[in-house]
Amino acid sequence: MRVDVEACIGCGECIPYCPMNALAVKDEHCMVDEKECVECNICYYSGVCPVEALQKEDLTWPREVRSVFSDPLQSHSTTGVPGRGTEEMKTNDVTGRFRAGYAGIAVELGRPGTGTRFRDVEKVAMAVATLGVKFEDKNPVTSLMTDRATGKIRDDVLEEKALSAIVEFDAPLEMVPEVLKVLRDVSSKIDTVFSLDLACWVNEENKVKAMELAMAAGYECSGNGKTNAGLGRPLANLGK
Amino acid sequence: MTHTLHRAGTVESLERDYVVFAMAAQGVNRDGAAEKLRKFLETVLKYNPVNFGDMKTGNAISVGQEKVLEGIRDNSIVHGVFTDADTVARLLNELKEAALGMSVVVTGLLDHADKCCREAGLQRHTVECSLGIWGRTDLLPERENLEISTMCGHGMVSFKLVDHLVEKVQKGRMTPKAAARELASNCHCGVVNPERAAELLEKMARTRVGAE
Repeated sequence: MRVDVEACIGCGECIPYCPMNALAVKDEHCMVDEKECVECNICYYSGVCPVEALQKEDLTWPREVRSVFSDPLQSHSTTGVPGRGTEEMKTNDVTGRFRAGYAGIAVELGRPGTGTRFRDVEKVAMAVATLGVKFEDKNPVTSLMTDRATGKIRDDVLEEKALSAIVEFDAPLEMVPEVLKVLRDVSSKIDTVFSLDLACWVNEENKVKAMELAMAAGYECSGNGKTNAGLGRPLANLGK
Repeated sequence: MTHTLHRAGTVESLERDYVVFAMAAQGVNRDGAAEKLRKFLETVLKYNPVNFGDMKTGNAISVGQEKVLEGIRDNSIVHGVFTDADTVARLLNELKEAALGMSVVVTGLLDHADKCCREAGLQRHTVECSLGIWGRTDLLPERENLEISTMCGHGMVSFKLVDHLVEKVQKGRMTPKAAARELASNCHCGVVNPERAAELLEKMARTRVGAE
């Protein structure tokens, strides 16, 4: 994001709209803290600037990583999915991405509202990689890894910051408590927060086994969540 | 990924907060999905959602119904927000009859979503739950702010914007309803529940230190 200082009147109306507190008025003009700005463009999209002084920038690598992970209107080139770039359980009734007997686990670093450097994303990825989990192929964070066995992320993006980024993998159901313990340990070693998701098929008894395992291991599961209603069909165009 | 998960709040508040959305799967049923997703949204609109939108375009407040419908693409994710489970159950029933083949997800209290599915004659396929927020939780604002800001899972509603709007409501410069609309307009997907947000903003304005 850049500010046209010739146009800016220094009113500061845009300041509360920035999730990263990267906007400030200095010397009668709004300034962008480029280190903190994640290029989510919400200050621009909000239309709050009365003189249209906020302008989106054409970004180059590696800074463009910020925008593609932070601006939900952009689709990730690696998956074609807007938002944070992964379908996860939303289409599990069609893809079988999280198989019976497995849990899908997503660690969304920087959410809510704190943002994350990719060096913290790497810390979490490398921690769970020690358990031999399989990172999701169709996930943009996985595409930044140079070694999917260790969770290592390419060096040139490690200092970049995004509004959030999701480390996604699956693991056999019986590994859920062990994975959660590793995540608990690494959560004290990062400089941000993460929101943690746990998904699995609903079994024949209408039970969600992954949740039961997590709760039995002493972890609290929220009463609200996402339910895939099972209406997806793999060949939806047949018979249209 | 999980843009509608992690909505914070009390059970009483979340009982009036449901998001129903649809999308196609890359490499499986995405080609030609735009028409089916448009049909999905047209069906959603029959049930008077309090907000709706498409991650590719914008929401009911920011761009309006016509543009959202026009802008739907094969890789769109199309949402509607509702304030009661009975409506969600009736919507699911109609979506089942429509047999669009798109994946449909209900976000809300898991027991209520299960009941909605059963009332519509559906067996839920996969469930995702939130295990909360881990790590530097000292960076977060108070619970009341999170109950509002977490309604936009992509972080487009900043903590500071919530505080800013609460202050405006406190000072009588904005009604809670107008503040909620301003806040919801920033969530491109249209998944912020403006009715719930208005209630929460009004409560924050009334109870925050410094309230008149």
